[in-house]
Parts: sequence; structure tokens; C-alpha cells
Amino acid sequence: MRRSILKDLLILLGVFALIWLLASLFNYPDKPKLLSIEKEERLGEAYVDLILLNPMFRELENEKIDSAVSMIGDRLEANLEHSDYLYNFVVFDSKMINAFTVPGGNILISSGLIAFCDSPEELASVMAHEMGHVEERHVVSRLIKELGIDILTSGDQYVLGEVTGLLTSTSFDRKQEEEADRFAAELLERSSIEPRTLATFFRKLEEESDNELMKHFEIISTHPNFSSRIREALSYEPADDFKALPMDLDWEGIQAGL
Amino acid sequence: MEYHPLPQPDEIEVRVREDAMGAYFMMFATTAMGLPLPILNLVAAVIYYYVNRDKGKFVQFHTLQSLYSQIPVTLLNSGLVAWTIVNFVKDFDFTGFYWGYLVMCACAGLIYFIFSIVGAVKARKGIFYYFVFFGKVAYHQVYRIRPKYGTSAPENRPPSY
Ligand SMILES: [Zn+2]
Repeated sequence: MRRSILKDLLILLGVFALIWLLASLFNYPDKPKLLSIEKEERLGEAYVDLILLNPMFRELENEKIDSAVSMIGDRLEANLEHSDYLYNFVVFDSKMINAFTVPGGNILISSGLIAFCDSPEELASVMAHEMGHVEERHVVSRLIKELGIDILTSGDQYVLGEVTGLLTSTSFDRKQEEEADRFAAELLERSSIEPRTLATFFRKLEEESDNELMKHFEIISTHPNFSSRIREALSYEPADDFKALPMDLDWEGIQAGL
Repeated sequence: MEYHPLPQPDEIEVRVREDAMGAYFMMFATTAMGLPLPILNLVAAVIYYYVNRDKGKFVQFHTLQSLYSQIPVTLLNSGLVAWTIVNFVKDFDFTGFYWGYLVMCACAGLIYFIFSIVGAVKARKGIFYYFVFFGKVAYHQVYRIRPKYGTSAPENRPPSY
């Protein structure tokens, strides 16, 4: 009798464990896919055009810098495992130290940030962080949450203007920042860039946290937990066979052209 | 191990059968009641068992079977409630693992529901209907012939080698 009871129990546990396992493997949609990538890209283009009309975000016309940024961007993009986006990096002329994400894979970088970075790797780590926000659809989910899908996709000019205002002053919550940091570290490693550069860069930001020039920088908008993010970034361990491949860029020469 | 003989359907009074059937429905009522705080229904179920304990082995068997099978369902539901609250409070992701657990809870609830209905109908007809595992445990507990008091009195034995 006891054996038979035990057998029943094991069968029962097994069946339910199996149900749990199988049901877990089913692919549950975890990100708001309410907005198709195509629609997001179209909206994003309109936002970028509007933002660049603002004198505070005028596009910087500098071939050397553009080619350096796209070289870094290409390296990162080539090492994405899978992406629905075609990235577009735009450098705008501003003393502010700033970079932010616009829907549709657009990442805007200030010339001030380029001047602030001591190496192309540092810039790459910021770009990788922003790409994290793109891939995780942080901006889009936030816009949908704040405005609702109907207003967002209405195509109304006034709404467009409002959204661009939101985009240039985006801040994310702590969890999203951590996700973007994590994404950046992994992408940097795959791109043969030292992933802990992110920590170095964060520390520099923290040292200058009073700097007025970086008050709009989304990366530091989650202030109170900055040191834990530095710790997190530092504790990232690249694989044993990881070898950094330096960026073939004359960084000081490029910065001199700013 | 020895067991008391089981009564045949025509030997069981209608009132007893109805009490046995009532056990399943009572457990249902408490399960529904306890959904927001699933532990409550277990307390109600245990009280129900003690109230009906002296109505004979047939009622005891069905009440226990129903009570035992309710325990895992309740625990699963409690886990689900706790997990959901934690996810909301801490703003964690609702992972595939969570949804899988939810599906499992739903399956368990559904199976419990179906078996209980069948159990209730059979009990009304004076029939023993055994759930997987829980039926055997309930039978074992109710119908096993327990050693009489006194046999546990000290008994002298030779030394073991
Ligand atoms: Zn960020």
C-alpha cells in the first residue's frame, strides 16, 4: 500500500512538474509589440527631423567625426545577435554632455559627449548602453505608457512636437538602466571592446556629477544608485579568451576637430 | 497491514451518502471563499472534517479525500498570489516561468474541480471513488485497522544479535 501511494505521489508530482516546464517554454509576449517596428521607424524619422530643427540640437557637420561614430556604430551593430532595427547615429552640436535614444533605432550624441570621452571605447560604451534602450524598447514602452498608443500614432503635428520634447528629456527607471547596462556590457564584449569601460566612464561621470553640462544626460538620471551601477559594471566578467581589439581611430585628432 | 471491510453501496444509508457528497461541495465553497487568501479555506475545511468525524467511515473517507486533494491546490494558489504580489511590488518581470506556473495552477484547479464533481456524484450513489494518491491516503487513514491500546504495553524480547 505504501509503495503504491508513493508511486502515485511521484506520478502526480512528475505530471505537474512537466506541465509547469512545458507551459514555461511557451513563448509569452513580454514586450509591448503594439507598435510595429515599421511604424516605430516612421515615427522615429519624424521625431529626429523635428529635434534637429531645434537650435539646441543642430546636426554637426563634421565628416571626420561622423565617420568615427559610424565606425564605432558599425562594429557594435555587427555584433548584435539579432536586431529588428537599422541604427542611425546622429551627432548634434552642443556643449552639453548628452546622448539619447529616439524610437526606431535613432541615437543622438552630442559633440560635448565626444569631447568628454577619453577614448573611442568610452563612446562605444555609451552607444552600446543606448542601443540597449532601443533593443529593449524602453523608449517606446514609456511613450505608450504615458501617452497611449492612439495619441502616439495619431500623426498629429502638435503631438509630434510634444513627443520630441519628452524624448530629449527622457529618463528611465532603475530597472531599465540596469538592463541597458547589462546589454551594453555583453555587446561590448562581443565587439571585442573591454566591457568594463562602462564602469570607468560611470566613475568619470560621478566625479563630475555637479557639472551643469551633463544635467540632461539620461545615463545619470537615476542618481541615488549610481555607485551600485558602477559596481555592477565592474563585476562583469568577460570570457577567458576575451581579447580587446583597439579601435583604429586617432581619437585626439578627431576631438581636435570639434 | 489490515483494513476494515468496505460497505457495499446498498448497505450505506442515504443520509450518510448525502453527507459524504456534501463534503465535496463544502470544500468547493471554501475554496471559492478562500481565493483571495487561500489559507483560510484550509482552516474551514479542517473544521468541517472535525465536525463530521463521527458520521462514520464512509463520510470520513470522502471528507478526507476532498480535504487532502484541496491542500496542494490551495498551496499552489497561495504561491501564485504571493508570486504575483511580489512581482507587482518589486516590479519584477512576469517571466515564462511565472506564466507556466499559472497554467499549472489552472490545470490543478480544473482537475481538482472535475474529480470533486465525480467524487460527489459517486458518493451520492454510495460508491468509493479513489482520487490518484489522495484516495489511497484517505482510505489508508480511515480504514486501516489500528493496533488496539494495550499491545503497546512493554513486551520482553531476547537481545538482538
Ligand atoms: Zn540609460
